[in-house]
Amino acid sequence: MATRGPRLEFAVGAFLVLALGSLLVLAIASTNGEFGFSRDSYALDARFTQVGQLRPNAPVKIGGVTIGRVEKIDLDPVKFDSIVTLAIDSRFNEIPIDTSAGILTGGLLGESYVGLQPGGDMEVLAPGEEIAFTTPAVDLIQMVGKYMFSGGGDNPPPSSGETSSAPPATPAPEEGTTP
Amino acid sequence: MAFAEAIRSVGRGGLFSLSVLRASKPTADFFAELTREIYKIGARSLPIIAVGGAFVGLSLTLLGFRALETYGAANQVSVLIGLGLYRELAPVLTALLFVGRAGSSIAAELGLMRATDQITALGLMAIDPVAKAVAPRFWAAVLTVPLLVAFFSTFAIAASWFQAVQVLGIDNGMFWQTMKDAVDFRDDFVPAFVKAAVFGGTAALVASYVGYHAEPTIEGTSVATTRAVVNASLLVLMFNFVLSAFLFR
Repeated sequence: MATRGPRLEFAVGAFLVLALGSLLVLAIASTNGEFGFSRDSYALDARFTQVGQLRPNAPVKIGGVTIGRVEKIDLDPVKFDSIVTLAIDSRFNEIPIDTSAGILTGGLLGESYVGLQPGGDMEVLAPGEEIAFTTPAVDLIQMVGKYMFSGGGDNPPPSSGETSSAPPATPAPEEGTTP
Repeated sequence: MAFAEAIRSVGRGGLFSLSVLRASKPTADFFAELTREIYKIGARSLPIIAVGGAFVGLSLTLLGFRALETYGAANQVSVLIGLGLYRELAPVLTALLFVGRAGSSIAAELGLMRATDQITALGLMAIDPVAKAVAPRFWAAVLTVPLLVAFFSTFAIAASWFQAVQVLGIDNGMFWQTMKDAVDFRDDFVPAFVKAAVFGGTAALVASYVGYHAEPTIEGTSVATTRAVVNASLLVLMFNFVLSAFLFR
């Protein structure tokens, strides 16, 4: 009953070759190509008072080029700082010790990432060390809210869909936000 | 006792799966059967997978374009295509098509073997019917469904490229680069094929269990075919949720 004709074997062989070929093409053409299952990286820590929208696996960039990923985000149970662990590609193992880290946003509402600004020190951050200078994430909505309601500017909040750039004709209201 | 009966049927399915694993021995006859089954349930499923994938890619592109246009991000539609295909659509739809195309034929074949006493005859000749008839089909499904998912994704992405770049006018480089940036090899691409292997095994086990234990009549075979498609489809959808919950954070 084992009819292993050459045609059958050819059909199965063609199927397997085609399938594995398309698998390879897909892996190269449509993924980020990080095939290694254990990437060669080392850890750096950074403490922030506010991480905003930063999430694990967010990119770590120097000058816009990705050099690693956020490995995990934890909270210091005593000081209530968030401790962000960065997994940096081992190729970039000479990051100066006076490098500063900030949580930045790509575009107006884009993805958060950690931006590193290298310093000029000759000493180098060793694996597991902590980045000393950090800037927390900026909460855009909170900033807008503060600007609008804390009387920081002279302009009142726009009243009725007025979009002209001319200075407002109505005098500024005294204080408070009651309509 | 409907409840006890339900538990017993789960137990019977589990024992049957164990017997299939135990009967899988790499003999020459096993490989001969495996080759035949890969051809019958794998290679012969290619047309339906290719056409299905192409049309899913086309409609998914239209949907994504419409939804992302609201945010002025229509040129990033390939993010949706890449993630949606690899994470959910390609494994699930391939498995469902596979259930309809190959699962039904497995159940019908085994049901007819049961109805015509071939399974009993194999047993009388001291040939394990599970090793001869079921194990090759199971392993063929575990092997071929991931490969069919690769075909499905290829055709879906190619069709989506046609729709997005040629019809809707999205930039070619933008299409490929946003997809590459969004799809992670380890987190998105590999799980698709893990899922596919699980679904293939599930579909083949359900279909062969139902066919193997069919009533030995013509009607029993037809009932078994229907039951194979219904049960395997439902199990695939359930397992998909469980796997998604474990594989993706």
